[in-house]
Amino acid sequence: VTSPRPRIGVIQFPGSNDDRDALWALAALEADAIAVWHAETDLPDLDAVVLPGGFSYGDYLRCGAIARFSPAMAAVASFAEAGGLVLGICNGFQILCEAGLLPGVLRPNESLTFVCRDVRLRVERTDTPFTARCAENQQLVIPVKHGEGCWFADPDLYDELEARDQIILRYDEAVNGSVHEVAGVVNEDGNVMGLMPHPEHAVDPLLGSADGALILASLVDAARERSAATV
Amino acid sequence: VDLDDASPAQARAKLERMCEQLLANPLIESYEIVVRESGA
Repeated sequence: VTSPRPRIGVIQFPGSNDDRDALWALAALEADAIAVWHAETDLPDLDAVVLPGGFSYGDYLRCGAIARFSPAMAAVASFAEAGGLVLGICNGFQILCEAGLLPGVLRPNESLTFVCRDVRLRVERTDTPFTARCAENQQLVIPVKHGEGCWFADPDLYDELEARDQIILRYDEAVNGSVHEVAGVVNEDGNVMGLMPHPEHAVDPLLGSADGALILASLVDAARERSAATV
Repeated sequence: VDLDDASPAQARAKLERMCEQLLANPLIESYEIVVRESGA
């Protein structure tokens, strides 16, 4: 039996601008990457879902606050509820937080300015579907580009997340004022992850770093395993 | 927010839902609801 290409959907919101980068990166990492329009009420048969970066519905009120009500997000919530793998990148992370699928919220950067550069990250956990290809404590270099990436949780919530090992990535440098330099978190069940950095922009050394491929290839591996398990 | 078809109790319940789900993110924002009946 040849190793199947897992089917990974990328939701396209009005304002998404990293959707094609995500589709390209996932295809380069041996997945069948499928664009899914935000107005769809049902997802096609998928092994994982990616919510891409960019913007969505104008991001009025707060980033992701409108997109969480899109028809596709109801389907994504059901998919996640059933244990499906969901990765949110940048605006996708913001949407997942607003939807209550991930803890915390993304606020305007402490500097109140847009930040766009490569940043150093530290991998806190490698036993997740999103980081299995990383080494414990490995440093990754992946670009960020956001104005509202300052992750916040109050001290009680932060302590709970820390106790449950839900912090997956931290910045290894000051980037945006995130509480305890948090760059990426998972939900309690470990099947939904969000991060502000853009792994889809770092999958080829020609782009300055291929470290993002470690995250996305981990997702492709995990999706492939699930795909094989359901055949 | 103007609501046409709600009693004060219904209006308050609707507004609480609106605030919790959209208008405010309770992690970082608080809100206060004051219901005022129109004279019509």
